[in-house]
Amino acid sequence: MTPLRFEETYQDEWAELETLLDRVLGRNGRKDNADPPVSGARLAALYRRACEQLALARARAYPAYLVERLERLTADGHQLIYHRREFGLARLKEVIAVEFPSAVRQHMTYVAIATAVFLLPTIIVGMLVYRQPEMILTVVSADTAAEFEEMYSRSAESIGRVRAASTDWMMFGFYIRNNVSVAFQCFAGGLFAGLGSLFFLGFNGLYSGAIAGYLTERGLSSTFYSFIATHSAFELTAIVLSGAAGLRIGHALLAPARQTRRQALVHATQESAVLLYGVTAMLLVAAGIEAFWSSATWLLPTVKYAVAAICWTAVLGYFAFAGRHAD
Amino acid sequence: MLDTVVAAETPEGILLELRPAGLTARFYAFVLDWIIRIAIIYGAGIIANVTGGVGVAFWIILIFALEWLYPIAFELTASGATPGKRVFGLRVLMDNGLPVTAAASVTRNLLRAADFLPLVYGFALVSILIRRDCKRLGDIAAATIVVYEQRSVSRPPLDYVAPVVPVRSLALEEQAAVIALAARAPRLTRDRLDELASLAAVVSGDAGGSGPAVTDRVLGVAQWLMGRRR
Repeated sequence: MTPLRFEETYQDEWAELETLLDRVLGRNGRKDNADPPVSGARLAALYRRACEQLALARARAYPAYLVERLERLTADGHQLIYHRREFGLARLKEVIAVEFPSAVRQHMTYVAIATAVFLLPTIIVGMLVYRQPEMILTVVSADTAAEFEEMYSRSAESIGRVRAASTDWMMFGFYIRNNVSVAFQCFAGGLFAGLGSLFFLGFNGLYSGAIAGYLTERGLSSTFYSFIATHSAFELTAIVLSGAAGLRIGHALLAPARQTRRQALVHATQESAVLLYGVTAMLLVAAGIEAFWSSATWLLPTVKYAVAAICWTAVLGYFAFAGRHAD
Repeated sequence: MLDTVVAAETPEGILLELRPAGLTARFYAFVLDWIIRIAIIYGAGIIANVTGGVGVAFWIILIFALEWLYPIAFELTASGATPGKRVFGLRVLMDNGLPVTAAASVTRNLLRAADFLPLVYGFALVSILIRRDCKRLGDIAAATIVVYEQRSVSRPPLDYVAPVVPVRSLALEEQAAVIALAARAPRLTRDRLDELASLAAVVSGDAGGSGPAVTDRVLGVAQWLMGRRR
């Protein structure tokens, strides 16, 4: 069969498939409701025939314009038929109610390691700086230390800010940008055999520890701890979780088990993607609390501690129990 | 083949050919996206300056969204590409040729933080250059690939030459080569076309000859192979 004969025989089918695909994919800019509804069975049948014809055309080395037309048809049909749709409210609810907390439980080992890598430097450096406040200068510059001290001083109009000009809303935006970037770094660092995640977790732990130790030594503990207590329930857990996701992909690269390294990596990222959805949501919540609640000076520290206790219990309880039935 | 083609097998057992986009195209697309984002940030900055307080907050949130969510949002649309990629005819697909999933899009874009290291997308640069499928680290981990959109190839316009019967039977590859030459004819200069046609002149029995007449006879063989007899 010559190429022209081949084209002549099948071009009606191809044209029909092209029209169907254009209509379903909403191309050519026209969405005509007057047209009869697209028959899925007809489309699938035409698609399968196009697949056969493509195989024939390739085997017979038909000219490029024929092969490419068939390639375009089959590629579009393939995308349409096998496309996985995973959006919508039902899926969102599923992620919040089941998938995220159950992913956290599945990654418990990584979460535990990430927590340790974050908390140990916090505690050790915090203690060291508390005993010898001048050590803060090995972590931050003198100016930054002074700025932190000013932010949490009792006379500050709102806690955690340097100047009154900055409004709650502005800080909300700032916290989102800052915290999300930190969390994403902790995750992305996992690509370097997990070392990046360990580094960012440890560094952020060390930094927080140094600041906490310094401010405690300065006698500003009541403003500082009442400030961080509530939003840290979401923020610190989110950073630890993104670090855990990073460790998961780092581990997959180092010990791929019975897969190739690349397969193991792809598998690990697919599984940890749901952690990232959750982390992002938690950071948004954290930024909101940090900007509007934590910084408020008119609230008594006792109230803040009580709310903080509720938040911590809720977050940990959520990870421990939500979606258990699906495990 | 010299082409950088990556094959994705469908359940029907055929291979979809994906053409990975190399560094240059992706760089242009990135720069264009970057300019678009800067323009939006700059424009919104002027408005934020006027409104102050809340406006500035939304401005900062906007910067965050443009930084991290801009590529994700656009990749999940039907075109599977950011505006920059669309202009340069690129799109993001899964390795198996399907549209990119939400999870994959999120991962590949968050992993920009790793691709960006050690300096201005250093790892991405190296990875795209050394890999046949031109993936950056985020693409490898998310099992995605940036490809050129399929473009349509028109049928070789050969109606101006008369079909010529080949002097001997031609193997499949030979037939394909002659037809491919005919398809390229409109895009070649006359001299270059004559030069290439002289290499294939054996099919029309003009071995060793060259010139416009030989070229027409070689193209005539292509006509014949395509199935035209008169």
